[in-house]
Amino acid sequence: MSRVAEQAYLRTRLAILNARRRDEAQLRALLELTNDELAAEFGLEAEQLDENGLDLFEQSQLQAWLNELNTLLRPLQGADRAVLVQWARRYEVLNLKALVRGKLGGLSRSEIEASLFILPGFLRLDHEPLLNTDDVMELLRRLKDTPYHQLGRMAMRRFEEQQDPFLLDASLDQQFYSGLSNCVARLSEPDRTAMRNLVGRMVDRHNLIWLLRYRHNYQLQPAEALYLSINGGLQLTREHLRQILQMQTLAESLERLPVGMRRLVGDADNLVDIRDALVLDLQHQAKLALRATQSVLTSVFAYLLLRYYEIKTANAIVQARFTRLPDYLLRDALFVKPLNEQMEVA
Amino acid sequence: MRAGHNMLHLTVHLMRDDLPSAGLALAEIGAFVPDNRPLCSEQLPEVPGVTYRERIRRARSHLDRLESLQADLNVPPVAGEGDPFLVLRRAQLVEVDEWLADAWKHCSPTEAKLQEIQEELGELEQLERSLDDFADLDVNLSHLQQGGNKYLDLRIGTVPAENVERLREALSMEQYLIVRVLGKGETVRVAIAGLRQEDAPIGNILVAAGFQSLDIPASFRESPEKVRKMLQRSRAAIEKFHHQMRQRLADWVDSNRAELARARRLLDAAEPYVELGESARAHGAVAILQGWLPAGALIEAESLLKGQLQQPFVIETRRPRPDERHLVPVPVSRSLLLKPFAILMQQYGVPRFGEFDPTILFAVTFAAMFGMMFGDVGHGLVFVAFGIALRRKLKEFTTLFIIAGLMATLFGFLYGSIFGVEHWLHPLWMSPMSDPMYMLTLAFGWGVAFLSLGSFIAIYNRLVVGDLIGALFDPGGVFSLVMYYALLGGLIVMLQGGGWPMVATMLIVLMLGLLMAYQWRELEAPVAERLLTVIIETFEIVNGYVSGSLSFLRVAAFALNHVALSIAVFTLADMMDGIGHWAMIVGGNIFIIVLEGLIVSIQTLRLEYYEGFSRYFYADGMRYKPLRTRSRIIPDSSSNRLRNEVSS
Repeated sequence: MSRVAEQAYLRTRLAILNARRRDEAQLRALLELTNDELAAEFGLEAEQLDENGLDLFEQSQLQAWLNELNTLLRPLQGADRAVLVQWARRYEVLNLKALVRGKLGGLSRSEIEASLFILPGFLRLDHEPLLNTDDVMELLRRLKDTPYHQLGRMAMRRFEEQQDPFLLDASLDQQFYSGLSNCVARLSEPDRTAMRNLVGRMVDRHNLIWLLRYRHNYQLQPAEALYLSINGGLQLTREHLRQILQMQTLAESLERLPVGMRRLVGDADNLVDIRDALVLDLQHQAKLALRATQSVLTSVFAYLLLRYYEIKTANAIVQARFTRLPDYLLRDALFVKPLNEQMEVA
Repeated sequence: MRAGHNMLHLTVHLMRDDLPSAGLALAEIGAFVPDNRPLCSEQLPEVPGVTYRERIRRARSHLDRLESLQADLNVPPVAGEGDPFLVLRRAQLVEVDEWLADAWKHCSPTEAKLQEIQEELGELEQLERSLDDFADLDVNLSHLQQGGNKYLDLRIGTVPAENVERLREALSMEQYLIVRVLGKGETVRVAIAGLRQEDAPIGNILVAAGFQSLDIPASFRESPEKVRKMLQRSRAAIEKFHHQMRQRLADWVDSNRAELARARRLLDAAEPYVELGESARAHGAVAILQGWLPAGALIEAESLLKGQLQQPFVIETRRPRPDERHLVPVPVSRSLLLKPFAILMQQYGVPRFGEFDPTILFAVTFAAMFGMMFGDVGHGLVFVAFGIALRRKLKEFTTLFIIAGLMATLFGFLYGSIFGVEHWLHPLWMSPMSDPMYMLTLAFGWGVAFLSLGSFIAIYNRLVVGDLIGALFDPGGVFSLVMYYALLGGLIVMLQGGGWPMVATMLIVLMLGLLMAYQWRELEAPVAERLLTVIIETFEIVNGYVSGSLSFLRVAAFALNHVALSIAVFTLADMMDGIGHWAMIVGGNIFIIVLEGLIVSIQTLRLEYYEGFSRYFYADGMRYKPLRTRSRIIPDSSSNRLRNEVSS
């Protein structure tokens, strides 16, 4: 497909898909529906939404997201395609984390399998041989033929001393976001700048939240936390990260943020509020990108990002309703504060 | 001609104890596809054999790993099939499962150790390289043995190359330096130095970075030659140990080959029952088994079930309901002639149940277009001979070569061309080069007919599923087809000198208006975006027909190209004498057969996929994957009494 045809195809597809996406008002309106109406909204019978049904519903929603990604990937090639494939790889990462935790927790094969996402064909991690392992060490050994072999080796050494998945989780996130930043760096203009605006914000958010957590909750040393940070942030430079990590308290760390980011964070004095503020900013930027960017690739990425939030919010509403969580609590959690942080890989 | 038209929904009401035998009997036909919907879950809430399946899955996972190990160790599997089994009894399953679990427990540590030794060998190799790398480093290398001294912390090791920069940055916060980075590729060798501090978290950072310390042997102070010899001795010892361990493991696997083969046979025989999944449901002693079966296999299924089941059973069949269309598996044609075309069609997608099955149309048009583009008696017969000669390797694709070759031969007679020579045969019709414009006009006409047929099928497919709106408004629907004909009619009248007819304009405007209005109504978006989308989508429909029609000009172009290539070969041959002349003719013909044959095949397939299938084919039908047995099944009467154990 030529570049012009590719752009026309994607813009048309996006316009159609975006028309179906529920905005915040429509998501709020879901809370006003009765259980039957809510189930019908998603093409289900209310009786189907028992515990098992809710899991299946969540899986089917995320599967729908992956199918949309697959559709949008169709005309893309080269670096454009690679960046979206890398974005979808987050599900590989989530599957790998679920596998490691499941093996560490001694869960049965079927229990672990139920928590895995069915991955589309363009992703490389085949979880079947990993499921068929007796323990976590064998699982890590089986990573030798996958793109995660270096992490597998590192985790094996770590697990010999202590069976704690913390470092593996952090390294998987690092590999994922670094991969995403590298893919963005390989794009041509105007895609690179526009994509960097979104991906850089995601990296900033991940770096800030996790480094503050490592430093002030887990009491890691600055150098150790710095090693676990990711390159490719938009506003948070490496120097900012160093300064933030060298502070003794959360408040002091926040004072070292660059001006733009401090304005975003505002009066937030805990990690949840900081994270919510950054996610709200990311969503705002994604909406702008979807409406007014020259880069069709960035529009696609922004759409997928917003659609993911929509799916997660819809899931939260359905789950809460059918597990009888009071509506006012759900409304508080989802809408009074910014939309919950649900994009995080970790 | 309707896809899956003979499929039936089958329900077997039977006794629970007979379920495994019923699964095997239906698997033996190789035509039954289980239907896993919980259709009778209220009356029959139990899914039998859940624990049995779980155990089989566990046993199979151990067996798969053991067989993969067997392949890694180059231990050949036992030849022959051995004695097959009818039903894997619970006692047998428990025995096999436990044996496999023990076997894996026995092999797994050795396998892990072998991998560890491989890594050790890699480290040794790195150490050998490090000898040269660090020879000119301005530090007392003996410090490396103790990790430096009282004040200096000094380490050498390997680290993934991608982590070096972050490691350097993090270490600098603790007053450490990476003093040297050597090597290329995924892993590099580094020397790290810094002030020794009690509470520096450098160990944790190094673990996170995947740093692998290199242990410096005591003799590092010796002469490089001695050190190298010592390292070589170490390597030889480790390799010997590795070889011995590997051999021990291979011997163990070799001595248990028969047991592994037996386990495979047993588990294969149990597979149909496992594959039944939730298509088998039960309540107490009664059960049902549901699935899809071609009507032609019904009698055989009934007779096999009669032979295998010990207790009464009832078979119920019905035609698929309209709401089940998307669930009915669609079998591909088994006909020898159509099989390769069915396989190629499945590469694009599976037709939905009830829609037009394009296999025959695909076969006819593919063969015709290939013949038109590659018309040559000699080249066609070479294709036929090639297909016959390589029939063992080509398998079901043999007929594709034969049919394509025969059509090329037929068109060769029509064009009067044999091995590119245009004067040996009198053309039954005409040589393409004699009137290229006529050829192009014919190809365009063929394209119009092809696209029209595609649109008719698209309309039919939508009407079959009750989608009247789709039949009228979809690309390839009635309105876009009328618009296409109006456009064509207008062009024909204009080319004949009659000027552009008003009726064509009116029809085009009317149809465009209808198509745009429909799309406007369907879309929900801001006005500007809606307008843009409607314009693009409508443009796509018009463009699809115009470019699609022009696309068929390649049919004539390749027919002309074939003649032109032959002329080029003969012109070059005429410039040479003796052997060179004949070598050029033979080589040129081989070149034409291979290169042009390949290109023409790809182009034909492209026309079929993009101008044909994409117009009328939903291609999202259910793939037909019937239950099958891997092993040969024979009756085993001794198992009957134990069936109840299996199905519990």
